[in-house]
Amino acid sequence: MSTGTPGDDRPDRGPVELSAEATVLRMLLGAQLRRLREAADISAEKAGYEIRASRSKISRIETGRVGLKIRDVEDLLTLYGMTEPQERSRVLDLARQSSTPDWWTKYGDLLPGWFESYLGLESAAETIRSFQVQFIPGLFQTEEYARAVTCLGHQAAPAEEIERRVTLRLLRQELLSRPAPPRVWMIMDEAVLRRPYGGPGVMRAQLRHLLEVAQLPHVTLQVVPFSHGGHAAASGSFSILRFAERDLPDIVYIEQLTSAVYLDQRPDVEHYLEVVHRLSGEALTPAATTRFIEQVADET
Amino acid sequence: MKGITMSTDEAPPASSGGGRTEPPAFDTSRANQARVYDYLLGGKDNFAADRAAVDAWLEVDPELPFTVRSNRAFLGRVVRYLTAEAGIRQFLDIGTGIPTAGNTHQVAQGIAPETRVVYVDYDPTVLAHARALLTSSQSGATEYIDADVRDTERILEQAGQLLDYTKPVAITLLALLHAVPETDKPYDIVAALLDAVPPGSYLVISHAGSDLLDAGQHDSLMGVADRMIQNKIAYRSREQLAPFFDRTDLVSPGLVRVEEWRPDPGAVSTGRSTLWGGAGRKR
Repeated sequence: MSTGTPGDDRPDRGPVELSAEATVLRMLLGAQLRRLREAADISAEKAGYEIRASRSKISRIETGRVGLKIRDVEDLLTLYGMTEPQERSRVLDLARQSSTPDWWTKYGDLLPGWFESYLGLESAAETIRSFQVQFIPGLFQTEEYARAVTCLGHQAAPAEEIERRVTLRLLRQELLSRPAPPRVWMIMDEAVLRRPYGGPGVMRAQLRHLLEVAQLPHVTLQVVPFSHGGHAAASGSFSILRFAERDLPDIVYIEQLTSAVYLDQRPDVEHYLEVVHRLSGEALTPAATTRFIEQVADET
Repeated sequence: MKGITMSTDEAPPASSGGGRTEPPAFDTSRANQARVYDYLLGGKDNFAADRAAVDAWLEVDPELPFTVRSNRAFLGRVVRYLTAEAGIRQFLDIGTGIPTAGNTHQVAQGIAPETRVVYVDYDPTVLAHARALLTSSQSGATEYIDADVRDTERILEQAGQLLDYTKPVAITLLALLHAVPETDKPYDIVAALLDAVPPGSYLVISHAGSDLLDAGQHDSLMGVADRMIQNKIAYRSREQLAPFFDRTDLVSPGLVRVEEWRPDPGAVSTGRSTLWGGAGRKR
């Protein structure tokens, strides 16, 4: 991620690389707070009451999806019985470091909060595993395909807003070319390749772009062809984000029309992990996928 | 290797005697060895049952994490030795496990990029990762076969599409044969594999040693394995392992605990593994 990114008005902070880091720090902070809360045997409701927040806010804090004020961290630590000054200041330092602004802040007006959280997690992830049934994944979309999809989703939006949304999507893709990119492992239903958003010309270019992306060493693409019949993920699209830190759990992200679901409880996550394992076992190998996409491109 | 579900193909039985050749189901309610290793190596592709089995195992054998790490390090050193010093350019790696850092093809192709590597595993968790991630480097070639070690005929036939059996091949069976009980004829399996490759080929084995544990530990571990782990586990003594290496000359220092096999200069061992390891050169 390079130019034109926010954070420019904070001269002592490096630009964008920090945002990924901030997300991980928030997650680490959240994981620590959860451990402390559970060790103290305090419910999320009670913890929420302490800082005038809901139970679900506590859950978002503990999964690092939102930051929190230093004063709230102090109150929680006291509630959890952490009184030792040195240990307290370690957690509080972490809380301070984790409040760096994110690169997408200037697109905040376009982004619902639930999707901002995803951008943070995505840029912090070490591995992104995802199953898509409808659209080419955002990270792999061409500008024209992104525009076609965006216009469908925001039919009443003025042209300028559409362009900013498209720009935002393309900025996201810089993730793939940064120095230590995440491993991106995408499994797509054949429908993704067949539905020609933007028309056959746009779709052909999109498929060719997909073939180029598939050559990247950190990208793995697999397709589940129609001929395979049913597959393990009857549910629909989802992503599993994995982080390098051993302490951090995988997070499952499921997008809905007006919100998103984040799962980080082990039994839920493991259910999706099992499904993604089955899916990639059922899907075409990466080599066969390349041949398959070439064939679909010829037919489009 | 194309095939989605090749398991129902003709797949001739490996050995005549009651060998079980159908792949294990993708069952996360019981631990399995691949995921247990993943967990112990710091991976996250494991499930509650795997972690529970590790916890129970650690009660009896606290050296397990060291053993698993040592086995991984042994793999690295042995592949490096075979590629850099013995001139091997073809590997048949059976019992691949869930890919992690330093897989056979990465080590070997890092030294000699033209090296060909065929991976074989029958575990469905491994299948998902291996098909997607153990991909070819530019000049060498890497393939994955979804097959059970008992099915030597199929393994050799499919591996033959990439490997040239007129030139030496290193066959690596790491932490694998202790999941093959006597009834499945492990000695016949190894003999069949060695038969297919020419003199100058290598056989590499690491194997849980019944004589590296005391009797009480051994019995308790077998209890844990029976109760909690899908794979049948059969520890063997050093003496029982020797016949695997019939028709080969063991590379110095012979059959030793894995961490003692040609350790890196200056390496200090911090524990004692429970795995025997060795490499033999076919006569």
